[in-house]
Amino acid sequence: MKISLEWLQSYVDLQELTIEEISHGLTMVGFEVEGIERFGLPTLPHVVVGEVLAYGQHPNADRLSLCDVDVGDGVIRKIVCGAKNFRQNDRVIVALPGAVLPGDFKIKESKLRGVLSQGMLCSERELGIGDDHAGIAILHERPAVGTPVNTLYPEPDTIFDIEITPNRPDALSHIGIARELGAWFKRPLRYPEVKASPVERVGDDLVRSVRCESPDACPHYRGYNLQRIDIDESPAWLKRRLTAIGLRPINNMVDVTNYVLHETGQPLHAFDVAKIRGREIVIRQARDGEQITTLDDKSRALRGEDLVIADEERALVVAGVMGSVDAEVDASTRAVFLESAFFAPVGIRRTSKFLGLSTDSSYRFERGVDPCGAEYAALRCIDLMQELTGAVWVGPVLVAGEVPLARREIQIQPDWIRRRIGFEIEDAVLKASLERLEMEVRTEEDTDGAVSFWVGIPSFRGDLYRPVDLVEEVIRLYGSDRIPEGEVRARVTLREDDPVPVLQRKATALLVGKGFNETLHYSLREEQEAALWVDNGESRQLALANPLASDASHLRPNLIPGLLECLKLNRARHNEVSRLFECGRIFREHDGKIHEFFSVAFVVAVGNGDKTGTNPDFPLAAGLVLDLLKLSGQTLGHRDFKALERAVWQSGQAGMIALPQGVYAQAGTVDLALSRRYDLEGPVLAGFMAILPELLAAQSERPTFRPFSLFPPAIRDLALLVDREVPSGVVETEVETVAKQLSAEHAQLESVKVFDIYEGEGVPQGSKSVALELVFRHMESTLSDKVVNQVFQEILSALDGRPGMAVRR
Amino acid sequence: MEEQLKQIVASAQTALESVTSLADFEQVKARFSGPNGQFTALSKGLAQLPVEERPSAGKLINVYKQQLQQLWQAAHERLEAEALARQVGPPVDVTLPGGRVPAGSRHLLTQVREEIVGVLRKIGFVVADGPEVETEYTCFDALNTPAEHPARDLQDTYYLACQDEFGNVSRRGQERYLLRTHTSSVQIRTMLKEHPPIRIIAPGRCFRRDTADATHSANFHQIEALYVDKGVTVRDLKADLDYLFRSLLGADAVTRFRPHYFSYTEPSFEVDLKARHLGKVGSEWMEIMGCGMVDPAVFEEVGYDPEVWSGYAFGLGIERIAMTLYGVDDIRYLYQNDIRLLRQFGGAGPC
Repeated sequence: MKISLEWLQSYVDLQELTIEEISHGLTMVGFEVEGIERFGLPTLPHVVVGEVLAYGQHPNADRLSLCDVDVGDGVIRKIVCGAKNFRQNDRVIVALPGAVLPGDFKIKESKLRGVLSQGMLCSERELGIGDDHAGIAILHERPAVGTPVNTLYPEPDTIFDIEITPNRPDALSHIGIARELGAWFKRPLRYPEVKASPVERVGDDLVRSVRCESPDACPHYRGYNLQRIDIDESPAWLKRRLTAIGLRPINNMVDVTNYVLHETGQPLHAFDVAKIRGREIVIRQARDGEQITTLDDKSRALRGEDLVIADEERALVVAGVMGSVDAEVDASTRAVFLESAFFAPVGIRRTSKFLGLSTDSSYRFERGVDPCGAEYAALRCIDLMQELTGAVWVGPVLVAGEVPLARREIQIQPDWIRRRIGFEIEDAVLKASLERLEMEVRTEEDTDGAVSFWVGIPSFRGDLYRPVDLVEEVIRLYGSDRIPEGEVRARVTLREDDPVPVLQRKATALLVGKGFNETLHYSLREEQEAALWVDNGESRQLALANPLASDASHLRPNLIPGLLECLKLNRARHNEVSRLFECGRIFREHDGKIHEFFSVAFVVAVGNGDKTGTNPDFPLAAGLVLDLLKLSGQTLGHRDFKALERAVWQSGQAGMIALPQGVYAQAGTVDLALSRRYDLEGPVLAGFMAILPELLAAQSERPTFRPFSLFPPAIRDLALLVDREVPSGVVETEVETVAKQLSAEHAQLESVKVFDIYEGEGVPQGSKSVALELVFRHMESTLSDKVVNQVFQEILSALDGRPGMAVRR
Repeated sequence: MEEQLKQIVASAQTALESVTSLADFEQVKARFSGPNGQFTALSKGLAQLPVEERPSAGKLINVYKQQLQQLWQAAHERLEAEALARQVGPPVDVTLPGGRVPAGSRHLLTQVREEIVGVLRKIGFVVADGPEVETEYTCFDALNTPAEHPARDLQDTYYLACQDEFGNVSRRGQERYLLRTHTSSVQIRTMLKEHPPIRIIAPGRCFRRDTADATHSANFHQIEALYVDKGVTVRDLKADLDYLFRSLLGADAVTRFRPHYFSYTEPSFEVDLKARHLGKVGSEWMEIMGCGMVDPAVFEEVGYDPEVWSGYAFGLGIERIAMTLYGVDDIRYLYQNDIRLLRQFGGAGPC
């Protein structure tokens, strides 16, 4: 909100304070200053009043004139001018050589199209006092030639752009801000005195009554008849004040209502009485679908819950938001009906939101204006109208609803305040702080000597209704920068870190240790990508209702696309990069519903920049996934993978694990055509695991020590012929089951591992040879060859001839 | 005889000089010391000598036998060493580049998050977690920001289009799902299921419907802190924040509280920061975060008695802190993941 310093000075004396001090004061009472601007004519030496004695065509330029200008120093200056709006003997503003105009525009003697110009005739815009740049400024008041321009204009004003937090509607006005500054700088506030008094008359040209059908939405409404109005331009001081805070002056009637709004914070509305049908004003709910054309020339359909101010036929104002063109004050207006009301904030907010229409008025009503402020603002407005438009107020005041009972008292103990803040402020200082904010403080002492304050809260402070609210007031005025430093009082609890951050830490350490670079990507992705990577369910479940950009319209179902994008970006920048990962939330279907998952994903660009010396392949990706699952408390093996066919994976090059309780993992080579769309030549291995956060145990169980054999192992290899479609993991499992059983007593199988797959010569068509290594190791003794061989033979016999399986000898 | 012995040792020495492999060595050795070797033959000749010459000849043979054995040993050692050296090739150029296994790295935001978490864990905070998809209740209503409250306008919120039930984000009735605008929602989730004293921090990702530029990002990260106990004061809040920033920025860091408004704290403050070594920005107050004393209305909402419990909460933006600490001048760099940025800060921080 824009606040004029000059305007503020009407209510509080801020003399001798620098702009910086005032700005600091605003900041420290809680109103952050977001910008400070100068408004009006700056101090401009060498800019004076001159008279155009004569002018003629510039010899070398059709559009320029050459003027003889007198600035009262006995020298007639030749000045080239581009404007056409002046005549001989006009008084104008002349910038002489040496002057510096706003924008660091230095004036010096210079040749324009071959003719020396000894200065410049100025427009209002060039001087920084207006927007008019159609021509130079003509001084119709004809001040003396040679008069310095600064003596013609008031001192420049300072405009503070300040942030008003939503709890402080009382500060949405110059008086409101002046009150805060007065409290901070300990200076008294001067309210404008109101003097207006009505004449009593009856006539057909008056609104005779107001009737409120919705007292909840409009608890209090006041109407005033004003007559014999002369609509005209506002005086310079009023225009200047409105312009200073960014408003456009319209006419004296409209300007006065705007002025009072920005002075007091109370929105007012003026109706042209001649346009009101009937002699009664009704405050009522709109009819469903009722049309109104608001002052911004938009036709709007209202709903039953919207409040309107209407005459006997139609709605004239969307209450508290904006008036209609039907009762608009214009140049021919002679009588107005002035409204000053208190509307319930929630209704105004709903209507304003529904219409997508926020005005100075609705902004204040929805935050809450002073429930008792309607009368003062109206009288202040009438005073100014009488002064500026010649208006005559015809009584009586038309009122619907009582003035709300907004004053209240809060009981608070100074000791309680001190306990909340944790440092000493004396009773007297506390009391004085509250009083400076126009609160009435009564001190009460009980029989034990405990002091209580009874604090009367002014009606405009709707944000103060509990003792704790006064703590903030006290600290504000004490100075929150004076809160003393203190000791850290660490309190420890037995609670542990939640499992997701713990897992994230572990997964990060694991992957960083394996040479992966951690990345972070945006959670919001484009629809096409989301649809491609959604693993099950539908991408519509990921859509945002109100996306800001089409490439950020859906929640991410997978982290891998971000990683592919990252590979692409780095490739394009000629950065060598291969191994990337990300930890984060993804959103996917589980058990028929959408769920939020914690996920870790990685990519390894094969061949291109992978400097680890290994040859990355599917087992590497699968192995990483298994490591990540293990950190999540899910101990699984490579045999738990199932072949996976999905558009995002290269056919025949991917596997998956899915556990019904909410664990998903996939690994493989990204579909090569898809990688190419990221400009990635050569395969990209990728994998992810995703787990429901609630599956992670709060505290991972400590493993118990499992003793291991201190004796040497015995190793035997075997080869099995199986159908080529049978996954090696199935063979491994079968061999393990058989071998474990047969070796349990004498040899004790330690592990089984497939180490080679062979197809071709010597292996029948449609079969493959799977070579396995069996490791035996006994807990209590060194195994003898005799024992191992015997066990191994038994295993071979048992395996040979099992369905679809033959030992290759 | 001595001449002969000398001769044999000398020719063994000569023969060994050209030997380069252990196999050749064994052949040479056999020629002299093998069962049919020259030296062996000469030694055997000892038996044919007259008895009186035998002792001196025996001594002589022993002397030369030792010499020969030393030759064998030395040559063997030389050849073994040479064989080992051949395994690694010629001497290296110690200034050659390349061949490194690239180190992994944690993202800068992770490092800063962990650093802040580490600092706060020291004074008893533990990490709590909450969902990114939230409900209006947890993100706003329970934080004393009901639907009709103008404070809701302060945060432009993303809502989900499809209001199908989330399997693991509970909601009350048919309130709308949204993306949390702040980690303060974790305050509510934690207080609803735990009992005071509570001392938690909640790092996490948040979302605001902001146009992306150098300082705004559609998603960003915050760390929320909540402390609920008996007798928590404004001064405690200030003390703990001073501790935090001095830990992060050094002992010369100072904070300034400025009154502000958050619907879920009363009183509320914004915190400005100044630290000499922050360079140009270090000489002026820089807005860094928001904080305040938990509003009694929030306590009532979660069923805590505000007469018994008091507390403070604060929230800070991890991006903001990271950019300040490391001088990154555009937030978008943090989400582009140019490997040069990732590696630049790989393990750079104190944590």
